[in-house]
Amino acid sequence: MSPKVAITHLSDLTPPSQERTWLTAPHPTLPIVATCSSDKTIRVYSLTNFTLLSTITGGHKRSVRTAAWKPHMAGESVLATGSFDATVGIWRRWDSYGQEDKTRADSLTATPSDTGTETPDREEDEEEWRFAVLLDGHDSEVKSVSWSASGMLLATCSRDKSIWIWEDLDDGDNNFETVAVMQEHGGDVKCVSWHPSEECLASASYDDTIRLWREDLDDWGQVACIKGHEGTVWFIDWEGEESENWNGPTSDSDSISESDLGALQAQWHSQTALSGPRLISCSDDRTVRVWRRQPKESQQNGALSSATTGIPSIIRPTGTDEIWEEDAVLPHAHELPVYAVAWSKRTGLVASTGADGRIALYEEQFVTREQEQQGDSDAMDTTSGDVLRTKWVLVGVQDGAHGIYEINHVAWAKRADRGSGGEEVLVSTADDGSVKVWTVTR
Amino acid sequence: MAEVQNSNPTIINAADLPTRLRPTATRKSEYGGIFTSALPLAPADFESAPSSDSEDDNLMEEPIDEQEIYDLISTISDPEHPISLGELAVVSLPDIAIKPTLPDVPDSPLQTVTVLITPTITHCSLATVIGLGVRVRLEQSLPSRFRMDVRIKEGTHSTGDEVNKQLADKERVAAALENGALMGVIAKMMETCR
Repeated sequence: MSPKVAITHLSDLTPPSQERTWLTAPHPTLPIVATCSSDKTIRVYSLTNFTLLSTITGGHKRSVRTAAWKPHMAGESVLATGSFDATVGIWRRWDSYGQEDKTRADSLTATPSDTGTETPDREEDEEEWRFAVLLDGHDSEVKSVSWSASGMLLATCSRDKSIWIWEDLDDGDNNFETVAVMQEHGGDVKCVSWHPSEECLASASYDDTIRLWREDLDDWGQVACIKGHEGTVWFIDWEGEESENWNGPTSDSDSISESDLGALQAQWHSQTALSGPRLISCSDDRTVRVWRRQPKESQQNGALSSATTGIPSIIRPTGTDEIWEEDAVLPHAHELPVYAVAWSKRTGLVASTGADGRIALYEEQFVTREQEQQGDSDAMDTTSGDVLRTKWVLVGVQDGAHGIYEINHVAWAKRADRGSGGEEVLVSTADDGSVKVWTVTR
Repeated sequence: MAEVQNSNPTIINAADLPTRLRPTATRKSEYGGIFTSALPLAPADFESAPSSDSEDDNLMEEPIDEQEIYDLISTISDPEHPISLGELAVVSLPDIAIKPTLPDVPDSPLQTVTVLITPTITHCSLATVIGLGVRVRLEQSLPSRFRMDVRIKEGTHSTGDEVNKQLADKERVAAALENGALMGVIAKMMETCR
């Protein structure tokens, strides 16, 4: 391992919960996070000063297991929470955390500027979280919730083996309509996660599979079932789509110049564009794996060749089925179940964590020609020369990140405690109720 | 539990159960034979260890060995008999092991406690409840640096793999702890624990 990335403790979120915390969801735009606790509450913390802003209580009768912020909200924040009490709560609050911070900062630095945007009477009424609606339908513990990229659809999943898709009617009356209930999984559905831009849902389960779901002619159905893990799949996350922030895999050293790297990344994107964003998963089997969709084009070729081998075409009746292949198994880094994995949309770095209390960081790097020749060339030569290859490298490990405690979740968030451009922090959530913020530097 | 699944279980005499409290002839025959090498930590090591090493040692957490784990779980009652898991040989000392969780991190305090459970009959549907009882008992009694690995002993149960997967699932165990009915059963099993 080449430890080229340093993981440094920045701060704890205080005060912590006195009971186990399961997950911390960073807000899509504001510098706040929501932490789910076994004490039946959700705690909203500031990433600016790492202190508790609000505690959402009174909605759930058992542990709060999961939470997700609705995207594209302006002026108001909407949080969905899932609990062991089998219900999903929707909570709303007018955004004012930022303004409060600004007011405070202004008064501290004694620069009286235009801070009078907030009227005093509004504070009293609208400072706190409003319970909007309880989504009832699951038969047992809700394990995960996820909003689609547009924010129109909410997916929820449970130990009852089902996935529900709800449409937020956005009618001002907090009405949600059940769009679909999928029951193909053979065990608890542990995690649901929407594609970064399309209406495609991925789910992970106690039945060791990952499944993908799309709508076809008004019907939601399974389009792929990925087998490969040898234990419960605990968590899944999507690769970010190409953006101004992230250009693709990097090189491991000086062997590739900046401009050459740019060319490689451009080639990489044209090579991978047809597949779309990849999926990453972590499991009870101690592994973290990356999955890639076969481009439709080659998939059809595959179907043709299978037809020539005599397999009846009835097996694949429609064009909605997708073939997903294992793209990589990340370097071994965990000795116990891996509970969470997070793929940074900004840097492409992957973080994983689990019962061994360890946070591991991985980076995807281009395999250079020389490395390819040094390696087992027999295995490498299966594809033609000009196809770019990458490898995943373990670039950082933090042992005992929460002392002796198991870590249940890790997430990337925008750094907010100082005005740095685009820097990210890691937020980890543990069994003792502690939530820690880490900087990751090269 | 309307129907008793095993109405005539084999019961071990309480006097023959392993214990630290009677360090006499019984113990010697228990540990002096072929089992000595198989036991990761021989209890004799702890007895002979100087108790007055230094002041610092008193501040340290007392070491926990297999016998202590056994003492914690052997007194749990079977859910359908008023008999302890030790007396039913559902748990036994040789089937308990303590190992470092992260062998590649020498200074890690994490240790994994493995307990293999032998159900009284191979199709006992209460195996999960017994396993859960053992896991809950250990989680509530041991410091947080211990990781629990409670499993059905291989070949002793028809659906062992299924039961093991449930017992290893942290989320399911956590949810079970919030299930009033199930915890009622577990609490009853633990009434006999010291």
